Amino acid sequence: MIPSAKFRRFLGEAGELSAFAGRFFSQAPRPRFEWEELARQCYTIGYRSFPLVGLTGFIMGLVLTMQLRPSLVSYGVDSQLPVMVGVAIVREIGPVITALIFAGKIGSSIGAELGSMRVTEQIDAMEVSGTNPFKYLVVTRVVAATLMLPVLVILSDAISLYGAYIGVNIRSVTSFSLFFRQIFDSLSFGDVLPAFIKTFLFGFAVGMVGSHQGYHSSKGTEGVGRSANSSVVISSILIFIIDLVVVQVTDLLGLN
Amino acid sequence: MPAPEKSNIKLGLFVLAGAFLLILTLYMIGKNENMFGSNFALKARFKNVNGLISGNNIRFSGIQVGTVKGIALIDDTTIEVTMLVATKMKPFIRKNALASIGTEGLMGNKIVNIQPGEGRAPEVAEGDLLANQKATNMDEMLGTLNKTNENIEDFSEGLKIAVRRVNNSTALWSVLNETSLAPNLKASLANISQATAHADAMMNDLRTLIAGVKGGQGSVGALLTDTSFAHSLQEATARIKTVGDKAGGLADELTKMTGDIRRDIDSGTGTVHALLKDSSMVRKLNASLDNVQKGTAAFSEDMEALKHNFLLRGYFRRLEKQQKNAGQSP
Amino acid sequence: MEPVIVIEHLCKRFGPNIVLDDFNLVVRPEENVVVLGKSGVGKSVLIKCIIGLLRPDSGRVSVLGQNVPDLGHDELDRLRAKVGFLFQSNALYDSMTVRKNLEFPLRRHWIEISQDKVDAMVMEALENVGLAHTIDEMPEELSGGMRKRIALARTLILKPEIILYDEPTTGLDPVTGKEISTLIVEIRKKYHTSSIIISHDMHCVKLVSDRIAVLVNGKCHAQGTYEELGSSTDREVKQFFE
Ligand SMILES: Nc1ncnc2c1ncn2[C@@H]1O[C@H](COP(=O)(O)OP(=O)(O)OP(=O)(O)O)[C@@H](O)[C@H]1O
Ligand SMILES: [Mg+2]
Repeated sequence: MIPSAKFRRFLGEAGELSAFAGRFFSQAPRPRFEWEELARQCYTIGYRSFPLVGLTGFIMGLVLTMQLRPSLVSYGVDSQLPVMVGVAIVREIGPVITALIFAGKIGSSIGAELGSMRVTEQIDAMEVSGTNPFKYLVVTRVVAATLMLPVLVILSDAISLYGAYIGVNIRSVTSFSLFFRQIFDSLSFGDVLPAFIKTFLFGFAVGMVGSHQGYHSSKGTEGVGRSANSSVVISSILIFIIDLVVVQVTDLLGLN
Repeated sequence: MPAPEKSNIKLGLFVLAGAFLLILTLYMIGKNENMFGSNFALKARFKNVNGLISGNNIRFSGIQVGTVKGIALIDDTTIEVTMLVATKMKPFIRKNALASIGTEGLMGNKIVNIQPGEGRAPEVAEGDLLANQKATNMDEMLGTLNKTNENIEDFSEGLKIAVRRVNNSTALWSVLNETSLAPNLKASLANISQATAHADAMMNDLRTLIAGVKGGQGSVGALLTDTSFAHSLQEATARIKTVGDKAGGLADELTKMTGDIRRDIDSGTGTVHALLKDSSMVRKLNASLDNVQKGTAAFSEDMEALKHNFLLRGYFRRLEKQQKNAGQSP
Repeated sequence: MEPVIVIEHLCKRFGPNIVLDDFNLVVRPEENVVVLGKSGVGKSVLIKCIIGLLRPDSGRVSVLGQNVPDLGHDELDRLRAKVGFLFQSNALYDSMTVRKNLEFPLRRHWIEISQDKVDAMVMEALENVGLAHTIDEMPEELSGGMRKRIALARTLILKPEIILYDEPTTGLDPVTGKEISTLIVEIRKKYHTSSIIISHDMHCVKLVSDRIAVLVNGKCHAQGTYEELGSSTDREVKQFFE
């Protein structure tokens, strides 16, 4: 059996990415941690993504509610709309959609930024300036993405639920406190914790893939574009794969 | 680019907002699952838990008091459910309280209902095993209600015919002239009035219940969002009402008739004497009265069953209390 | 005097592409050596091997008496502090201001200097290239020549003993190119540095070179002063002087 060239390239990519992750874990704990740069990256990666993530979250909650209502009404259980939307947002849609938007915004920008730094020899310049560029550029970005995505997901979930609240109130009336009581009553730790934990993995994947693509960008501006593009593609696929794995694992652990 | 301090402040706000929401969510869920505040354990054993899982809610007379902590198979026919109940509810739950498994809404989550038992008993203690009560399900309840309606219709129909015949015939008067018969008849009349009173009380109960249901009071009110259920309940109510009207008319006629008979007996006129021999008629009347009594007794039983049903229990208790209060206040 | 850089039998290949093949070169103290070569011949690869950014396949690259490929992480870092490197593409950090760019080489953990001293060093380096007023600007706000001078200032900030210039005048107009060339000469005079300058700008070469090495097919094809090589009849050498 001779694997096709494409498959071999895929395996090569996967191997390189794993080695890159290995390098991350071996370098990240070593001293001289770039705190200042980490804070700066958290600011750009987290805070600056908030408006986009918040807006999409709001629309998502609103639209999801309006789309779900007719089918619930046909079963006569439209009073359960908040529960349905709440569980859907908290467990799955909030984390995954936010992570995908994050991959689109942050994955591509990390890929392009590191790619252009590689192409314009800024990474080499750091190296000769006595700064470990892997720690300065990659570790900070990966850690920032890993820490910031969960925060973004929590805020986006909250905004989505607010959107859902407005969505419910378009066609019927519910009070703010009843709406959130219904949602919190129906949620359990088994709903929230796996969803929260997987956002760390999503953030890590986005940061890792973006950094890897950028850090090993090939020469030329074309290489930068390709890095940005494949960062988004690969991290989006990884998000779904991680989601699948997390669902299976939480199922096995009986957390559902 | 903003100055580093400013951006750090924004970043801090951003992260703290996220952390706050996370902690709030976890706290709210924890509160629902009784993680905060002190709890004590109660146990109950069931043959079948109908899909109850740990984390399901415990209601005491309809109030959320705790959650199911664990479900364990004791042997092939017994399942022990361990419940965590808020300690502040302890003084209200007595050792004779009954546990049953029910459903939140028509197709919601399973819940454990704890209801106060009859009579007095000491307060429960940690780890007590509560007796259980068979869960009444909605369909059974509606089935019984329907049967009752049919019964009422049947006997009121019979009674009507009987009364009409009594009214139209002179045979009865002769029966009544027979002095030995008078005590008998008196007893029968007493029976009739008892039966009508019974039927009356029953109708009242049912009316208030239905009014309550319509007004959305009690846990039954919550069920009415389901239209199919509401429809069948409405149909049932309508039938009960027509029966009730019929029974009301019947009772009027009966009182009038007994008044007539009384006068007849008092005046000593013997117009009914000729019909005395027609004993089959008397038998028929007696059988009819018997039917009335049986029917009302059956309905009373149904009402009693309904009173004990978990869904309506709280409602009836409240009603009782109101009546008691009303009795005390003047 | 001991030479500061000694390159012996240096070989470097990328897959099937043999870039350097038994290359030899010596740089003596306070000497400006120009490396001439066609585009893609491996000049940048050569100086990246000297600074330790690329690892040679074989051969010795001795800088200030230390063989670069043998050095551990910390030793290499200390050696690099004594060697300035001017990148062909400037490699200014475009997310940082000019000041941050210049401070960056001072972040080394074993360098402990007060903020006042840092400010003074940044100011001095900027004044050397005549751009003190740009200190709070971003690199993208500057012209190409200014960027080159900022990059040069960053190279000079640690007062290195050796400076490696990768095409310092390429892409600049003749006037600015001449300014940079003059700057290179002045720096040598002021700080007594030794340098390798990669260039194919013959005006610059004429101005700065003490000695010229011509890189052809991965080897040091010819060496000599500007005048010596200018009168050479070698076809490979002659084409640069036409
Ligand atoms: N990291 C690398 N990986 C693979 N090949 C490389 C790498 N760096 C350089 N090369 C190859 O080595 C050869 C020499 O490249 P180098 O950059 O040294 O050329 P140069 O002489 O500096 O040319 P220029 O004057 O255009 O700067 C080229 O063929 C290039 O493709
Ligand atoms: Mg080059």
